[in-house]
Amino acid sequence: MAFARSRSKLVWDIGSYVVLILLAFICIAPIIWTFLTSIKLEEDIVTRNMIYIPTRITFEHYVNLWNQSGYPVLVINSMITTSVTVLICMLTGTIAAYSFSRFHFRGRTQLMLAYLIVRMFPAVLMIVPLFIVMRQVGLLDSSVGLAVAYTSFLLPLFVWMLKGFFDAAPKELESAARIDGTTRLGAMFRIVIPIARNGLLATAVFVGIAAWNEYLFALMLTTSQGSRTWPVGLQLMVGEFQLPWGMLAAGGIISILPVIVLFALVQRAMVAGITAGAVKG
Amino acid sequence: MTSNPQSIMASSRPLSTWDRINPARYIGELSETRFWMYLLLLPSALLIMGVVIYPTLYGFQLSFREMRLNRPDLGTDWVLLKHYQRMLSDQIFWISLRNTAVWVTAAVIIEFSVGLIAALALNRNLPGTKVLAVFILLPFFLPNVVAGHMWALMLDPRLGVINDLLVKVGLLGGYKAWFADPSTAMAAAIIVEAWHSFPFFTLLLLAGLKGVPSDLYKAADIDGAGSISQLRLITLPMLKTVIAAAVILRVIGLVNSPDLLLILTSGGPGRSTQVLSLYAFQTAYKDFNFGYAGALSVIMFIFLMMFAWVYVRLSKVNQD
Amino acid sequence: MATLSIKGVRKSFGSVEVLHNIDLELEDGGFLVLLGPSGCGKSTLLSIIAGLEPSSGGDVVIGDRTVNDVHPKDRNIAMVFQSYALYPTMSVRRNIGFGLEMRRVDTSSREDAIARAADLLQISHLLDRKPGQLSGGQRQRVAMGRAIVRNPDLFLFDEPLSNLDAKLRVEMRTEIKRLHDRLGTSVVYVTHDQVEAMTLGTKVAVMKGGVIQQLADPQTIYEKPANMFVAGFIGSPTMNFLTGTLEQHNGGLALHHGSAVLALTDIEPGAEAFVGKQVVAGIRPETFSKGEGPSSLTGTVDVVEPTGPDTMVVLDVGGQMISARLGSRERPHPGEPMTLNVDTSALNLFDPDTGNRI
Repeated sequence: MAFARSRSKLVWDIGSYVVLILLAFICIAPIIWTFLTSIKLEEDIVTRNMIYIPTRITFEHYVNLWNQSGYPVLVINSMITTSVTVLICMLTGTIAAYSFSRFHFRGRTQLMLAYLIVRMFPAVLMIVPLFIVMRQVGLLDSSVGLAVAYTSFLLPLFVWMLKGFFDAAPKELESAARIDGTTRLGAMFRIVIPIARNGLLATAVFVGIAAWNEYLFALMLTTSQGSRTWPVGLQLMVGEFQLPWGMLAAGGIISILPVIVLFALVQRAMVAGITAGAVKG
Repeated sequence: MTSNPQSIMASSRPLSTWDRINPARYIGELSETRFWMYLLLLPSALLIMGVVIYPTLYGFQLSFREMRLNRPDLGTDWVLLKHYQRMLSDQIFWISLRNTAVWVTAAVIIEFSVGLIAALALNRNLPGTKVLAVFILLPFFLPNVVAGHMWALMLDPRLGVINDLLVKVGLLGGYKAWFADPSTAMAAAIIVEAWHSFPFFTLLLLAGLKGVPSDLYKAADIDGAGSISQLRLITLPMLKTVIAAAVILRVIGLVNSPDLLLILTSGGPGRSTQVLSLYAFQTAYKDFNFGYAGALSVIMFIFLMMFAWVYVRLSKVNQD
Repeated sequence: MATLSIKGVRKSFGSVEVLHNIDLELEDGGFLVLLGPSGCGKSTLLSIIAGLEPSSGGDVVIGDRTVNDVHPKDRNIAMVFQSYALYPTMSVRRNIGFGLEMRRVDTSSREDAIARAADLLQISHLLDRKPGQLSGGQRQRVAMGRAIVRNPDLFLFDEPLSNLDAKLRVEMRTEIKRLHDRLGTSVVYVTHDQVEAMTLGTKVAVMKGGVIQQLADPQTIYEKPANMFVAGFIGSPTMNFLTGTLEQHNGGLALHHGSAVLALTDIEPGAEAFVGKQVVAGIRPETFSKGEGPSSLTGTVDVVEPTGPDTMVVLDVGGQMISARLGSRERPHPGEPMTLNVDTSALNLFDPDTGNRI
């Protein structure tokens, strides 16, 4: 009996490894293939006989992309938009998450639900009016305007996720701090936020990645080189001059590099935060 | 016994001039009032009012008005239900509706199944699987644009590696243009979408699995329940809430965001991958017919609300 | 150091009133224990004293200052929490000194104060560690250090020992008592543990359902409980409740329970009014002794539980279970008949209708 059980456990263990290795391979294979494509010579990409591992390596696609297209400008625009988005979320969302986490007041549950439900609104339903309003107030085709538009779906996410991290810090800490001589404001900034700093970092990175990746709002709300972000730019390049695969692959790799690095750095806390917010919600 | 309690008392320094004008002091005083929790919410609430609530309401009323940016001559008059009536006889609308149903259902089923398998395997906490978990979760964090092009590159009719592999293995007679063939375009797009988003289910289900008390499995082991019946009788019922939350969030995402299809196929070939969100977006972005785009979005929103309501109802009924 | 008085304090959450008109007085240097089962409102009352929660009415007076509208930081109180609530990002030194830092005490006198408090609590060697690196008992000491370093008017303790294991709990209990003796600061101490209440308090307030059932010194609470709730809550094993009829007996009074007659001594004057009526007699397990006497009960031994110093015997007296604490050498067997004599001078009588002491 015990023998049978340990044997069935072994079978499941082996099965798990097989499944996980297979899935992990499927998940990163497209990234690896794209990377390999980006360092192949053009004639090795367009060839009758598929070359799996390149024997000749070149960085000319990266150099061409950087020098010939407006890619650096696109990346800088994306950086600005992403930073502004994260900044707005941190400034307004941190205190909101703190309020939801720390206080029980009339209408709290309903308000939190409202912060969740706004994610159900179709993007297009908001994009059209945002387009009209942004045009009226002169924020159309600007990095700041795009960042403000991003907060429409990222700020509720930020608040929910960060609330989960604040919830993990015991409430008695504020009581202790207030008796020790701080105000509620002081307790928040001196005690609770420093404790939740990893969570705050993870939440900010998550929102930053989402802003960096965003395509639809950017496509609609930016019209010129001055504020266009890299996803829109990359997509337009494909249409405009039938972008060669090598350069496209290089653009993709450059663009996801920061995402991969940040994800690897804070993935543990970020995963915990996404799940905490979602499971409770 | 020599300690003198009085000596522990230390004297406080008086307030300086800076302390008196320091704004933090006044905000600190404000923080002790009854309104503090509301004050903390105020900035974000105002922002959400401005960028979510107002535009949404605006969008609702747009759906009852004429608004075509490229035809200013038509004005912006109220047209009541004109857009909704047009929808009834709009072939593309009905095709989009059907495609949306296929797109969402197939993607959710695949993503949930693969996500659950990955979560169950990861939850065994076998040595070395932490690294694999990072790889498995990664696609969810990658941009749609890059995800789309990576797969387009691999599925390319002339130099796609997947075509090459399938031909070499003998599953395929020759290279195939997956996205150009109406019979395979949707399936190929669903595969890409599933690759991109199944980690979302893995993430949430894994968190749910961590919340299942291990005593339950020990008890089931002693009772002689096998792995499959443990999954059916313990794991899935315990995960019911998480599954419901994950499915609703994913369905919202799939219905609302046309990004991936916009990048992969733009709805083509023909209308074979045209979904509602994409149709609404193109109506706004290409035709600049904001009124009709608004009406399409409103219908989408109503469908979503109905789905969420029915789904929550059903999963609650099952729980009793 | 200061007195504390609480006058008619109430607290409601929505339409639910959780504290009803609480009145309390604590003398300067006293040790008041708020004792009661969970949900009785004792922690809420402590929060109101601390100013962490507003009351819905009534006054809290510390010393000669009414502090209803005073922020917690300005009440000059210190508090030790159940979870210790040490700031995890700060060193032990900064944890202890944080209250002084917030009060702008200059660095050198702050360091002196920290050193003295650490010395008093024997945690000087831990000052540069983070709370996460400490054991439960050490965290407890740091939490107390943080409280005493400020030399407040009033110490508040919120179930400070309930997260410790049994052995450490007894040790820290002694430590708290020693600190109180040495510093002489007034203390309000919340607990659900009656042993802590009895050993530490100069005054104990037993609470239930948002009402103070009895406020007295521990001895009185134990020997003359105000009602059946207090009588049953204090003491382990709990007091026996024996229902019987009060009758005239040999010029005095006696309690008739079945065939047993318990002759009463030290009768309270109010008891006369209950002659001929049903009353409840509260009998502490330790007031029994083996053998015949003027007031004895006979029954069958049900369960025998030797505890080491004593032997607890559960006796079935006409269907009612009575527990008695007997000497350690007593080893009756279940099923045997047994007769116990009651020291009726320690007996309490309660009105069965109101539950109040007669």
